[in-house]
Amino acid sequence: MATLLEVKGLKTEFHTQDGIVHAVNGVSFTVDEGETLGLVGESGCGKSVSMLSVMRLIPMPPGKIASGEVLFQGRDLLKVDDEEIRSVRGNKIAMVFQDPMTSLNPVLTIGTQIGEALELHLGMTKEQARKRSVDLLKMVGIPEAENRLDDYPHQFSGGMRQRVMIAMALSCSPQLLIADEPTTALDVTIQAQITDIVKRLKRELGMAIIWITHDLGVIAGLADRINVMYAGFIIESASNKELFANPLHPYTLGLLGSIPRLDEAHKAKLTPIEGLPPDLIEMPKGCPFYDRCHYRTEKCGTANPALELGNVRHWVACWNWQSVQKQHAAAKSS
Amino acid sequence: MVAIVVRRLLWLPVVLFFVSVITFLLGFYAPGDPVQVLLGVHATPDTIERLRHEYGFDKPIFIDPDAFGLAARELSQGKLPLNAIQQFFDTQYFRYIANALHGNFGYSLVKYRDQPVGELIAERLPITLQLNFIALVIGVSLGLPLGILTGLKRNTRFDFTVRTFTLVSISISLLALLPILTFIFSRRQDIFGIQAGPILPMVGGRLSTISGTDFNDCFGGLAPTLIGWGVQPENIPDTRIICLNQLPKLVLPILIESLGYIAIMTRQMRASLIEVLGQDYVRTARAKGLRERSVLVRHAMRNALLPIATILGLSLGGLVEGSFLVESWFGIPGVGALAVDALYAREYYIIVALVLIIAVAYVVALLALDLIRPFLDPRLRQVE
Amino acid sequence: MTQTTLSEFQRAEDSSRMRSPWLQIVRRIVKNKFALVGILVIFLIVFVALFANVLAPYGYDAQNLDAKEQPPSSAHWLGTDALGRDMLSRLIFGARSAVFVVLLVTTVNLVLGVPLGAIAGYYGGWVDALIMRIVEILFAFPGLLFVFMIAATVKPVILGWARANGLADLARSGYLDYAVVIIALGFVGWGGLARFVRDQVMAVKVRDFVLGAFAVGVPTWKVIYRHILPNALAPIIVLLSAGMGFIALSEGYLSYLGIGLQPPNPSWGNMMAENAGRYWRTFPQSIWLVWVPALILTSIVLAFAFLGDALNEALNPEISD
Repeated sequence: MATLLEVKGLKTEFHTQDGIVHAVNGVSFTVDEGETLGLVGESGCGKSVSMLSVMRLIPMPPGKIASGEVLFQGRDLLKVDDEEIRSVRGNKIAMVFQDPMTSLNPVLTIGTQIGEALELHLGMTKEQARKRSVDLLKMVGIPEAENRLDDYPHQFSGGMRQRVMIAMALSCSPQLLIADEPTTALDVTIQAQITDIVKRLKRELGMAIIWITHDLGVIAGLADRINVMYAGFIIESASNKELFANPLHPYTLGLLGSIPRLDEAHKAKLTPIEGLPPDLIEMPKGCPFYDRCHYRTEKCGTANPALELGNVRHWVACWNWQSVQKQHAAAKSS
Repeated sequence: MVAIVVRRLLWLPVVLFFVSVITFLLGFYAPGDPVQVLLGVHATPDTIERLRHEYGFDKPIFIDPDAFGLAARELSQGKLPLNAIQQFFDTQYFRYIANALHGNFGYSLVKYRDQPVGELIAERLPITLQLNFIALVIGVSLGLPLGILTGLKRNTRFDFTVRTFTLVSISISLLALLPILTFIFSRRQDIFGIQAGPILPMVGGRLSTISGTDFNDCFGGLAPTLIGWGVQPENIPDTRIICLNQLPKLVLPILIESLGYIAIMTRQMRASLIEVLGQDYVRTARAKGLRERSVLVRHAMRNALLPIATILGLSLGGLVEGSFLVESWFGIPGVGALAVDALYAREYYIIVALVLIIAVAYVVALLALDLIRPFLDPRLRQVE
Repeated sequence: MTQTTLSEFQRAEDSSRMRSPWLQIVRRIVKNKFALVGILVIFLIVFVALFANVLAPYGYDAQNLDAKEQPPSSAHWLGTDALGRDMLSRLIFGARSAVFVVLLVTTVNLVLGVPLGAIAGYYGGWVDALIMRIVEILFAFPGLLFVFMIAATVKPVILGWARANGLADLARSGYLDYAVVIIALGFVGWGGLARFVRDQVMAVKVRDFVLGAFAVGVPTWKVIYRHILPNALAPIIVLLSAGMGFIALSEGYLSYLGIGLQPPNPSWGNMMAENAGRYWRTFPQSIWLVWVPALILTSIVLAFAFLGDALNEALNPEISD
C-alpha cells in the first residue's frame, strides 16, 4: 500500500491574550491509500487542530503552524502557495465536520453548497453539477433527492444533514476524507447509520479516511489503525485489534477501563482517569500524563518519552510501557 | 409562510391600539386645563363649562356604559341599536383617534396660539425627513464599507482609529460638541451662516437662517417641471422643503447627523462580519477550497447583512424623529425644533402628537421589517 | 446522548480550571487604556458622590445673599450663583444626585426587566409574545419626549398623593422630584434587559445540563436562578453599563428642561439651565458654569461607553498576536 499522506513533526500553536497555547506538539504519522486511521483523544488533545493544520485551515492571526511537514502526493502542503492548497481542499482531501447544523450555510440551498465544489474543482456547469449533486444525495441515501436539492439546511434532520455534508465532501471523489467527530452530535441510532454509509462509500470509492473521535466504541468498528493523542502528542499508535487487545500506554489503558463493556463481569466498576489534562500554555516538563498516571516513575516527571516500538507495528510513548503490558496481561488472565 | 404574515399582521392593530391608548392617557392626564388656558384667567365657570361641553371634555373616557341602556331601548323598539353603538364609542378616546386619523391633533395653546398642531407638524415633517434621509444615506454608504474594512483588518491601527472614532461619535453629548464645531467653522460665517452665540439653543442669540421654502418656489418652481414629467397637479405637495441651494448651510447639520448613522453602521457591520467569519460554515466553505473572495461574498456577507437589515429598518422608522439639538442649534424648522419648543413651552398636545406619530412610524417600520425578513433569511420561512 | 453530556461537561470543566476566568477578564480590561480612563472617571464621580458632605465646602442650598454672583475667589473656588450659593458645592452634590438616580433607575430596570424577560423566555408561547410586544411598544416611543411626558404627567399625581397623605413637606422640599425621575426613567428602560434575558433563557433552557437539573427535581425558579442567570450575568453587565451612561444623560436633559430635579435640588442639568438662561448676559463666567456640568456629563457618558465596550471585548476576547 502506497503512502498517501505523511505528517512529520507538526507543531501548531495559538497566540492568545493569555499566552501561547501549544495545541499540537510534534505530531508525526502516515496514512496509506485506502486505509482508515482513527485519531482518538479527549477534548482539547489536539486531534482536530492537527487535521485542520494539515488542510491549513487554522486561522492565522491567533494560530500559527510553527513547524513540520505535511507530504501529500510529493508536495509539502505547508509550503505550497494559496492557489495550490485550495486546489487540494475539497478536491483531493475533503473534510466533514462535527456539527452539521452550524457547518452548513443557513441561507444557501444545499444544491448550491454541494455544487460549489463541483463547479470549482471539476469545472462543471450548473446543470452538470446539479445532476451530479442528485446522484451524490442518492448515494448517501437521501430520499427524493431531486426535490431536496433546493431545500435549505434547516429543513433537514440532524442525520440527514450529516449525510449532506458527507455528500458534499465526496463530491469530487477525494483520495482522503478527514472526518472530525462526525457522529458526536447525533443520536446513537443515527450514528450507526452514518458509520455504515461511510464504510460502504469507502468500499465503493476506495478512499483513505482519518476518523477523529473521542469515542473508542465508534472507532473500534471502523479503523484499521488507531493513533491515541494526549495534550498535543501522539502517545500510542497501533492497529485496531492490537490496541484493544494489548494497550501499552497508561492513558489508553485508562480509557479502556472507563468504558462499560458488554463482555465484562456484571458488577465490574468503571475506573475513570482522575485529574485533568495539563494546561497547554504552560506545558509540564516531563510526560504530559505524569499527574494522572498510575505507573509513573521519577524519570517521567523530567523527560518526555518519545514514541518507541513496543510491539509489531505498535508504537508507544511511555518509559514504563513494559510494566503496563505486564499488569494488563495479569489482569486479563485473572 | 402565509401563516406567519397573517399572524404578524394580526398583531398590528393590537400594538397600535396600545400605542394609541398610552399616548391618549398621557395627553389626557397632562397637567393643565386646556379650556382654562384658552379662555384665560377671567373666564366665568359658566363659560368654562360650556366650552368643555363643546370640546367634548365632559364625555366618558373610553366607553360609554350608558349606551347599553339605549341599546336595550332600541332593541325593544325593534330597531337595530345603531344609535347605541354610536354612543358607546362616542368617548374622548375614540374621538381622539378619529381626530388623529384626520390629522387633527388639537391646537397649540401657548406658543403658536390657535394654530392646529397637525398643521405645525405637517409643515415641518418634510424638512426633517429630508435631513434625516440624506444623513442616513451617507451613514449607510460610508458606514458599511468602513465596517467591512475594519472587520477584515481587525486589530490594525486603522481598525482602532475607526473604532475609537465611532465610539466617541455615539456617546458624546452634543451639548459640548456643537460649540466646538461652531468655533471651528465660524471663520467663514457668511458661508456657513452660523453665528457664534450662547451654547444652548433657544436661549438668546440668533440662530442660522436655514429656512423651509415652499415646494413650488424651490429652484424657481418645481411644479412646472413635475407637470412636465407627467405628474398630475393635484398630486404636487403643497409643503415646505429645504431647497438644496442652501447647501453650504446644510453641510454642518447633515455632517453631524450622519456621524451618528456612520458610527452605528460601522460598528454593527464590523461586529456582524466578525461573528459570521468565525462560524463553522465559513470554515466549511474554505475547506472546500473556495477562494477567499467567494467565501466572503457568497457565504459571509449574506449572513452578516441580516442584522444590518434590522437596523436599517429601524432607522427608516426613525426618520420622522428630528434631532433636537441639531435642528434647534442650526435653526432648521423641522420636527425636532418643534419638539424642543414644545418641551420648553410645555405644549403637551404637540408633544403627545409627536409621540404618537413617531411611535406609529416605528411600529409600521418594525412590521415591514418582520414581513421582509423571511425573504432574507430562509430559516424564518417556516412556522415552528 | 451520553457522549454529548460528557464532552460538554469536559468543556465546562476546561474553562474553569487553572486560570480563574475572572482574573483573565480583569486583566483584559486593564490592558484597554480607554477602559481604564473610564473606570477612573466613574470611580471619581462615585467617590465624590459618597463623600459629598465632606468634600463640599458649603451646603448645596446654603444661600449667602451678600455674595451674589461672585466670580471665582478663594472663598468660592467656582464663584456663586444669583442666590449666593457656592457653585463648587452644587457641582459636588450634583454628583450625588446623578449617582443616586442612576443606581435607583438601574435597579428598577433590573427588577422589572430580568424577571419579565425570564418569564417570557421560560414559558414561551403567548406569554412570550405578549411581553415581547409590550417591549416592542415601549421601544417604539421616542425616548426623551416619552420620558418627558411621563414625568410631566406623573409629577402632579405624585404631588397630589403626597399632599393627601400629609407628606406635603416632602413635596415642597423637592425630594419627590427624585421619585418622578426614577419612575419615568425606570419604566422606560427595562425593555432591553427583558429582551436579552429572554433570549438567554430560551437558548439555555434546552441545554442538557438544565434538563438534567429538572430531571433531578429542582424547582423552576431555582433552575433559572442558579443555572441560567450566571451564564448570562456578564453580558447583562455590559448592557447595564451602556444604559447607565444614557440614564445620566437623560436625567441631565430632564432636569435641564425643568421637568426633572428642580432647584434647590442639585443637579447638573438644572445648573446648566439656571446659568444659561438668566445669567449669561449678566455675568459671563456662568457660561463656563454651563460648560463644566456639560463636560462632566459628557465624560460620564463616554466613561460608561468605554467601559461597556471594554467589558464586551473582555468577555468575548478578540484574540490578538
